[in-house]
Amino acid sequence: MELKNLSIRQLNNLFVDKKAKPSELYSDIFDASASSESLLHAHLSLFEEKNLENAKKSDKRFEKGESTGLLDGIPIAIKDNINIKGELTTCSSKMLSNYRSPYNATVIEKLNNENALYTGKTNLDEFAMGSSTENSAFGLTKNPWNTEYVPGGSSGGSAASVSARSSIGALGSDTGGSIRQPAAFCGLVGFKPTYGTVSRYGLIAFASSLDQIGPITKNVDDARIIYNAISGHDALDATSIDNNQTNIPFDKSAKIGVIKELMEDGISDDSRNEVSKVLENLKKQGYQIKEVSLPLIKLSISIYYLIAPAECSANLARFDGVRYGLRVEGKTSYEMMQNTRAEGFGDEVKRRILLGTYALSAGYYDEYYGKALRARKKMIDEFSNIFNDVDYLISPTTPTAAFKAGEKTSNPLEMYMSDLCTIPANLAGLPAISIPTGLSKEKLPLGVQIMSKPLTDLSLLNFSEIIEKEVDFNTSPEGLEK
Amino acid sequence: MNLKPTIGIETHIELNTNTKMFCRCKVVDTDEPNISLCPTCIGLPGALPVPNGKAIEYITLLSLATGCTITRKGMFHRKNYFYPDLPKNYQISQFDLPVGESGELEIILDGKKESVEIERVHMEEDTGKSTHSGTGRIDSATSTALDFNRSGVPLVEIVTKPVIQSAKEAVAYIEELRQLSIDLNISEGKLEKGNLRFDANISVAPSDSNELGTKVEIKNMNSLKSLERAIDFEISRQTKAFLDGEEIIQETRHWDEAKELTSSMRSKEGSADYRYFSDPDLPNMILSEMFIEDIKNNLPKLPSEKRNDLMNTGLDLQQANILGKSDTWIIELYFKVFDSTKEYSTTYNWITGELQGQMRKLDMNFPPEWFSAEVLSEIIGLIKENKISFTSGKTILSEVLQKNISVDEIASNHDLYQENNEEKIVELVKNVINDSEDVVRRIKEGEDKLVGFLVGQVIKNSGGSVNPGIAKELLTKELDL
Repeated sequence: MELKNLSIRQLNNLFVDKKAKPSELYSDIFDASASSESLLHAHLSLFEEKNLENAKKSDKRFEKGESTGLLDGIPIAIKDNINIKGELTTCSSKMLSNYRSPYNATVIEKLNNENALYTGKTNLDEFAMGSSTENSAFGLTKNPWNTEYVPGGSSGGSAASVSARSSIGALGSDTGGSIRQPAAFCGLVGFKPTYGTVSRYGLIAFASSLDQIGPITKNVDDARIIYNAISGHDALDATSIDNNQTNIPFDKSAKIGVIKELMEDGISDDSRNEVSKVLENLKKQGYQIKEVSLPLIKLSISIYYLIAPAECSANLARFDGVRYGLRVEGKTSYEMMQNTRAEGFGDEVKRRILLGTYALSAGYYDEYYGKALRARKKMIDEFSNIFNDVDYLISPTTPTAAFKAGEKTSNPLEMYMSDLCTIPANLAGLPAISIPTGLSKEKLPLGVQIMSKPLTDLSLLNFSEIIEKEVDFNTSPEGLEK
Repeated sequence: MNLKPTIGIETHIELNTNTKMFCRCKVVDTDEPNISLCPTCIGLPGALPVPNGKAIEYITLLSLATGCTITRKGMFHRKNYFYPDLPKNYQISQFDLPVGESGELEIILDGKKESVEIERVHMEEDTGKSTHSGTGRIDSATSTALDFNRSGVPLVEIVTKPVIQSAKEAVAYIEELRQLSIDLNISEGKLEKGNLRFDANISVAPSDSNELGTKVEIKNMNSLKSLERAIDFEISRQTKAFLDGEEIIQETRHWDEAKELTSSMRSKEGSADYRYFSDPDLPNMILSEMFIEDIKNNLPKLPSEKRNDLMNTGLDLQQANILGKSDTWIIELYFKVFDSTKEYSTTYNWITGELQGQMRKLDMNFPPEWFSAEVLSEIIGLIKENKISFTSGKTILSEVLQKNISVDEIASNHDLYQENNEEKIVELVKNVINDSEDVVRRIKEGEDKLVGFLVGQVIKNSGGSVNPGIAKELLTKELDL
């Protein structure tokens, strides 16, 4: 079997036993991207040479028996809204096309400590706003399972990279489903951790109260390994929390709830069938399953599209041409700022800035943003109550499998609906994972989402691993073989 | 018709913390631009704010010292507006949950205690500094230089209720607030460095009206003098407009120091909607009971308390107010000298007049280490007992400030002890009378004033050691007047 198809633990065993070297894996990975990049455009930049050197340093550590752990020598792809010192961090925006970060994000510092390697920076929807990676100023990314289809978004480049074996794992960011949805569309595991357990320092903010960094991988164990490496309290992020995990049962004493509202209208038969298949499987193993109702989930898209744009309207105000990034001159400073922002931002980003500015305006705040905050609070309470009854909540990850490129670009509202199942976990700060379970009629992957209460991330991963084992999904994309 | 002005003051105080409000960059006092910066305070993408605990402590301290109610559950808000020296294009500030609310500050106005009601005390971060070339205004500048050293320095904003009635009262309020911030050791309190910056909201209305007139905000007052002049100007401008039946427009006006007038600022921020919302990067701030109690228990002496202590020695309010604003060592010196001499007025005059005057002449910030309360008490005591003259006291003080030498040694060396032996003085007096026949005759003819001349002669002949009072008394007696 080729190295690039193996799990992190399998690779580490080979390295430790001196049956393979990190540099061999690295070449393997780069051969894969050499053949797939022109087709998929998963990466915006590739770090080939610099990291080959680092791979050789890993070789030496394994030779001497001085490796630093499971991620030593493992090539990871980084979404291009996470800062790596000295490298371009573009957010797929014309605004930052020339921007190199002078500092590392905390997650990068942590991966550096593990001696992980980087394949490069991956494509995304501009400033992580979108569900298809079509909103990139540098061209779209395609789905490795079928290149006519989108890989999902906004971490579409990260998902496509792992799927095409151009990296062993990837970091994405998830504000309303941006890790889980592309993972589902590309037949991978996507994990959004409990809000606050992974530092946001160095992640270019979209919506600060919702953003969370997490892994996209071929299997649950890989996600766990990366999560363990990147999580933990960070003094540089005031919203960071101590990762004091609570253990909840994941064997058959665990109680499972299936969310009624996410098995109804707007969900395709294909997506529903995947959930049913998993539930049957769990039932067979002896798990207790019951239907639960979270009525406010139906409002989550409305709540999200007030809160996220409001936060983004302020977060993106710093891009003004004054200190870094694009500058388009004007007669006065204000004209320069206006020209820069008019030219630097794409349509979707502008749409959300306008939406958020409006929602926060004098006279509208209470009716829009204020109301959304109150509704969010109520939704959190609803989740808290449900978690007194059940340990895990199951739903589809997405209402449908991947759609064709261009299919939804002219209808933003329809595009927003594709995040129906994933947004609630962001609003409530819950850990949520998507695991691949099967294929649609069009032979495109589908995922099932599992959520649990805050700070039960490790139990959630353990439980997901049980499902993963039962469904035994083959994550190798068929599209690339053709 | 009688009109009354109403004034509210917003003051920004730059705190003297070591580091900035939301990052760990040092607060620097330098003209060299852009040397204390990090991703957070210049708004690089991905950087996040982490609050400075010391700044929160200082703001709580000021809130408690002004008798404010502390909001235990505080919150940071984003105030959104675009300006090139505001790196994030929003300022982290506080909106509906400030640290302190509803307090008051005792001030001294025309020798009387007054109280100014405080509406709120809240914290925010400072902006960078813009230098516009050409006209000095952003919309017409050909280029703008930006210095972000100041960006993110912690500020506390104190807002009074609209209760101030005159420019003089406004000045007294700022003087008191400045002293308070120095005594609390939360700011350098230097106006010339912009440690304290103030804006005034001014309106006029008929004296018998319960409603306030349309308020006008005045900016760009950089000294107490310009505060006073700007307010006076604005009150007369509005009064005239009101009496002429003109509408007073709610606006922001710019004080022009050179032209001594306020003019309308048609700047873009003028009518801005700041779209305040709670900053999602900063979780709610909970001030614990213990944190507040701790600060309360360690409050230093407030200016009003210092004034009361000084007045208890006998000083009047005016004297207590002046001495109260002095450096701590001066106030301590006063209390020590007063304790040994029990002379409040003399001690006050010696310290605020002679001592500080001579130190200024000698270019001294602090007296030498050998100078102590005992030295000054000794000088004051000798004068009181008529052993030396007031003038000799000044001489001794001057010398003791420059040389480590005892008061007695100086007095002896310069023969400053006064002659109190009556026989000796009578002899001197007789000699002078004998030598001044002409003058004595004129005195007898009624030119009383010339007695002073003879007193002078006696003192001169004694080498300055005769007490003038005694000389005059004996002269009068000898001349049989």
